[in-house]
Amino acid sequence: MEYSKQDLKDLYDGKLPWDKIKEIMSRPKDDDRFDKYVEILQERVPWKEKILLPVGEHLYVVQKAKERIVKCNCGHEFGDYRQNWKLSALIFVRDTREKLEEIYPGVRCPDPNLCEVREYYCPGCASLLKVESVPVGHPIIFDFLPDIDAFYRDWLGKPLPEEKEYTDMSSQVTMAWRAKHA
Amino acid sequence: MTKRKGIGDGGRTLKQMLEDNSRLLRETGCYAGITQPHVLRDDPVRAELFHSRIMSSLISGRETCKMISGSPYVREMAELCMGLYTPEGDNVVQSTGIQVHIRLMGDNVTWMIENNYEEDVGISDGDLFLANDPVIAGVHGVDVYDILPIFWEGELIAWVCTVIHEMDIGAVSPGCMPITAVERGADGLKFCGEKIGTNDKIRRDFEIKIEISLDFAALFLLDRKGAIAANIRVREEVKNIIREFGLDYFKNGIRELIEEERRNQIARIKQRTVPGRYRDVVPLEIYMAQAPVSWLPAKKDIIRLIPIQTDILPEGRLVLDFDGVGEWGWHSMNVTPKGLWGGLSICIVQTMSYDGRGNLGSLLPCEIKTPPVDSLFNPSQIKKLATGIPWATKLDVFSLWCGTLGTAFYMRGFREEVFNYVSSSGWELAGYDQYGNKRPMLAGGIGTFGGGATGVGDGVDTGGWVATPETDLGNWEVWELFVPQLFMSRMLEPYSVGYGRYRSGLAIPSMDMLHRFTEGIGSAAIGCGHDRILPNIGLLGGYPGGKRNTFLVRYHNFEDMIAKRLPLIHEIGDPREFKNQKYADVIYFDYTVGAVEVRDKDLTVSDNGSAGGLGDPIERNPALQKADLDTGLTNEEISKNVYCIEACYDEKTKEWKIDEEATKKLREAKRKERLSRGVPVEEWWQKSRQRLLKKDMDPLLVEMYRSSMKLSEGFTRDYKDFWALPNDFSF
Repeated sequence: MEYSKQDLKDLYDGKLPWDKIKEIMSRPKDDDRFDKYVEILQERVPWKEKILLPVGEHLYVVQKAKERIVKCNCGHEFGDYRQNWKLSALIFVRDTREKLEEIYPGVRCPDPNLCEVREYYCPGCASLLKVESVPVGHPIIFDFLPDIDAFYRDWLGKPLPEEKEYTDMSSQVTMAWRAKHA
Repeated sequence: MTKRKGIGDGGRTLKQMLEDNSRLLRETGCYAGITQPHVLRDDPVRAELFHSRIMSSLISGRETCKMISGSPYVREMAELCMGLYTPEGDNVVQSTGIQVHIRLMGDNVTWMIENNYEEDVGISDGDLFLANDPVIAGVHGVDVYDILPIFWEGELIAWVCTVIHEMDIGAVSPGCMPITAVERGADGLKFCGEKIGTNDKIRRDFEIKIEISLDFAALFLLDRKGAIAANIRVREEVKNIIREFGLDYFKNGIRELIEEERRNQIARIKQRTVPGRYRDVVPLEIYMAQAPVSWLPAKKDIIRLIPIQTDILPEGRLVLDFDGVGEWGWHSMNVTPKGLWGGLSICIVQTMSYDGRGNLGSLLPCEIKTPPVDSLFNPSQIKKLATGIPWATKLDVFSLWCGTLGTAFYMRGFREEVFNYVSSSGWELAGYDQYGNKRPMLAGGIGTFGGGATGVGDGVDTGGWVATPETDLGNWEVWELFVPQLFMSRMLEPYSVGYGRYRSGLAIPSMDMLHRFTEGIGSAAIGCGHDRILPNIGLLGGYPGGKRNTFLVRYHNFEDMIAKRLPLIHEIGDPREFKNQKYADVIYFDYTVGAVEVRDKDLTVSDNGSAGGLGDPIERNPALQKADLDTGLTNEEISKNVYCIEACYDEKTKEWKIDEEATKKLREAKRKERLSRGVPVEEWWQKSRQRLLKKDMDPLLVEMYRSSMKLSEGFTRDYKDFWALPNDFSF
């Protein structure tokens, strides 16, 4: 099974009618999807770094020199992909009834004593990258830590140069914050 | 001493077969030790025929059951499913229907084998077994499993099982799965692999027990007859298949179907996802402080945190870890480790194994790590607890998990497969019905809400219930014959939506009027525990849908309203105003509704939230929003405030028009607003940390975190690491 890049562009851009989407959903999946997907995305970003993995509507893990970083399509860089990119974002927290009711008016509104809705914005383009609804006091969720080397080496058969250790480095950021304000 | 001859393959006992199968899987990594499948591969056309014959027998069996049953759960909602199992209890093929039970029914068979049924109870051709105990394996007691062994020339060669959701199992009121029941006895009748008949016939004494015990005894027994007829139909068809294909082909073929599916599932995981660690969290809210309970320790409000970690491993395995889940409690929403597989089954079938080949092999690449002992997912007191609503907990967990998997699909470019869902809520009733009878009352047509956004378009407006898609609405006119609730309205609710570049579908609040109902008690909260905290179900910049609500509307003078032809309530309308009705009092419940008095002509309202949106709402294509405005799925306020789309209604053309220029300005202004009110996470973190050090938060949350930390060193370490808390910090 194979689709043209144009078919996929139309799919991603919401230009395909439902019956065509349903057809794509029902058929066996196309093995070359990821390659074409990345090609399409690479053509659409204004920078040259190679996209290794799209991790959101605007975010990509890219190869920058010897580093792998999370980068927004506006060009803003969030740092090493093994650190939760949210820690480098702007945050707006809906933690009062007034702020929550902007989105969830009246009886739709959760209890601000128990629930906060966190919005993470790109500092470069102000895109809303993630909405996180959690109990008050919950750590920021590191939604996804990819095992990129295993992905390229074992699944795509195209190992990346200079493997990185597969580990969560987010606590380094918070520990540095603590040291700074101690 | 001679070794006893078993009823299984080669004279082995079923227990020996089970042990051999487990050993072979362990030693080879392949199901039944099939390292080189060939029986099916040697002749693919024959193999296809073989599978189709089994599948069609199960589907026709399911239809047979629907014709015999008298319950609207079966006839209208089709909340039933069938499966064929190996002698060891491993699922080979499943019918259409509610596929949550596919592994669970097999787990009951395995349990029977492990508990020496072959010797102590006896398993013979024509024996009828019945099970519904989640302590063994199941979702909740109302899901009843009919289990039938299939013999060929004296050897047990397979099992066939049917699950039906019952109207009544003798549970305490209200309803058939009472939310505030906390003790096991309150669940109603429990069948632990009980032999209820021989020679294809139900024992008369069992029928008498049912006739004496249940208000809806006739429906229960009709369901048994339907399920047994379905099972017999499949059994006889399996014999035909053996006559046509041969016994050896059947025995090897059913095992290879599982092994082939295991391999296919690994291939799908590698083709559609990305290896790595995925994390999410869901709180389960149980507010029982105001509820009448039979056991005092249950009378309190609690919230339990459920962290969900999914590791997709390089070898194509999927490992779920619930480390950090809080403690069990005296309520009906505790889950067993085996019960978790039910939630996973339904998600796997809906998201990856939807080609009709789904079976145990779909789940073999998955692992659910044993949750901490005495947690919500592994309560040591489970045999004492009611287990009426563990489904609610599972739904909460696996609705988010679908989103996790959806994110993985998105990263691989399979954006069309992104999806998530939420659960429903509804009213259960007790009292004298329209016929003057005391009966458990829970109408099933309540699973009404749209699905989550996909990566290529809006969520399906009205069809988001993955467990039994036929549950959406059902035929309410039939339900009106069984419950004293008259259909008043099902209006799509624009404010329920999970907003995003692509939005979720819409919730459809169920509004029903109690009619000819006397001395009534009602309770609510069947599907989910999200009364005050939104589930974290927005994807990649999309918002979660709004909070679900439960209302009871009591008209000041109903007869007078009818006489004066005043408008009755048919929709939520403006969510800021719904509680302020001119001709009625609105009783609003933001807690687990235990048992409240309800009166004839009250309006019961089950107002679900909806699933998650995807992407930044201000990037929504205005053309999509115009279509929603034209069809009434949204309104001007939402368009402007959430999507930053300026639209106005053209009276002449009777359609909405988008002001492109004004929209552009609104969106630019929104970006500026975000940059001005957003703060660096570091700044927010410092303030939040100070608050946390003072434990300045709601006592319910303090207790929630304390509970998780009590059971998990890993959760405690992660929590302290994130907030950089001192080692001696505790809640």
